[in-house]
Amino acid sequence: MRRVLALAANAWRENLRSRFFLLTLAFAGIFLYLSFILGALAVEQQARVLLDFGLAFIELMGLAGAIYGATTMVLRELETKTIYLILSRPVGRGEYLLGRFLGLMLSVLVSMALMAAVHLIMLRLKGWSGADAYAMAWLGGFLKVLVTASLTLFLAVFSSSALTAGVIACALWSLGHFLPELRFLVSHGAPRAAVAPLTFLSWVVPDLQLLNFRDRLQTVPGSGPEAGAAVWLGYCALYCAVWLALAWGLLRRKEL
Amino acid sequence: MAEASALEFGSVTKTYVSSHLGRVTRSRGVEELSLGVAEGESFGLLGLNGSGKTTAFKLALGLLHPTRGEVRVLGRPPADAAALAQIGFLPELPYFYPYLTPRESLRFYGRLSGLGGAELSDRVERSLELVGLRRDGDRRMRDFSKGMIQRAGLAQAVLHDPRLIILDEPVSGLDPLAVKDFRDLLGGLCAAGKTLVLSSHSISEVEKLCVRVGVLKAGRLVRLIPQSEWRAAAGGLEGLFVETVR
Repeated sequence: MRRVLALAANAWRENLRSRFFLLTLAFAGIFLYLSFILGALAVEQQARVLLDFGLAFIELMGLAGAIYGATTMVLRELETKTIYLILSRPVGRGEYLLGRFLGLMLSVLVSMALMAAVHLIMLRLKGWSGADAYAMAWLGGFLKVLVTASLTLFLAVFSSSALTAGVIACALWSLGHFLPELRFLVSHGAPRAAVAPLTFLSWVVPDLQLLNFRDRLQTVPGSGPEAGAAVWLGYCALYCAVWLALAWGLLRRKEL
Repeated sequence: MAEASALEFGSVTKTYVSSHLGRVTRSRGVEELSLGVAEGESFGLLGLNGSGKTTAFKLALGLLHPTRGEVRVLGRPPADAAALAQIGFLPELPYFYPYLTPRESLRFYGRLSGLGGAELSDRVERSLELVGLRRDGDRRMRDFSKGMIQRAGLAQAVLHDPRLIILDEPVSGLDPLAVKDFRDLLGGLCAAGKTLVLSSHSISEVEKLCVRVGVLKAGRLVRLIPQSEWRAAAGGLEGLFVETVR
């Protein structure tokens, strides 16, 4: 575990010192400011607009950082050969992947938390209250980014192309919001030829609706997520574990 | 296989297979490589570009898997954690994270090698001192020259006091002063009983450091030359090497 933590700490340091991380925060600041202005145009719904835009943007920025990080972290190390000095030490390839992934997700978590802190201050200035609901909506956003990042990491190791992995990950992330519809299609009325690929997709695509606390909190004010915490936390843990294990299986066989 | 061997290749063949648009291409890495390096020996691997030296090292470290045959490192399979903990590796052109300083890099690699606490701090400082990088220990490595990178590479290779040190072209691109420093340092490691396996295009360096040399030609080990043989030869090791690979 010490090695995993050392790798995670190094990945965190790498993200902290990279321009991309700073750019993410700068963009976030600009966009949150824009949503503040946009909120002013909404007259009576200022806080609502600021809340919706801000949360969506925080999630999107987190997602962009996670997909960029997950697609490049292993591939760049293979390309620059920095991986040689790691894997020529007593570090298992599974430990390597897990450490890098944890470091990436820590960076994403911190950047999303910083954006949320700024966002909350702006909401407070508009007289909005509801920190508990906000925390749940934000957590849902982070978990969506987390499961998508684990899938992206697998895609990157599998395809050996950051661009391909990134594009597929974005497509699957979009599909993940329509998983209930996809499942409905499989069981009701999809053409026979489409059933097998749609069933496969319904297993691969992350169930982002399960984690979409933001929409539910907005449509049913004061309510929590539909499923219990054990269900959605368990789902996230299992989903990440499966994709990380598959990525490990591929990396273990990869020749460097 | 003999237990006293630090590194043992038993009829190892490595064939690289790549495919593009359904067209499969095979290329040879090493072929039927059989070689043993004893504990405490300093062994040199010579060969022209593409002769299989780096492939042999990667096989020893478990970075590549043999197509046929068996590799044993310190009596264990390659990539075995216990074996890797006892190996120091300097790749040809070592690649570091440019955003780290040598001190941070060494701390990171030390942790990966299982070091920690005061021992880690002590080893990091000693390694920096050993390669002459103590004064530049807190400079980001993106600003380093090739020679300084190579020094940092050697520092990370000896940081955890390994039994077996594998060096791929350790003096390539170094200025004469740095080459002399490297030779003295590696000589000190040999004297301390470490097993040294190195490849180099600089035959004179191999001649000075090694007690036995293997010559690879097109992936095959074509000749083993003990120190006594090249000392007795008129053209020295260079003459024997040229005669072998031509």
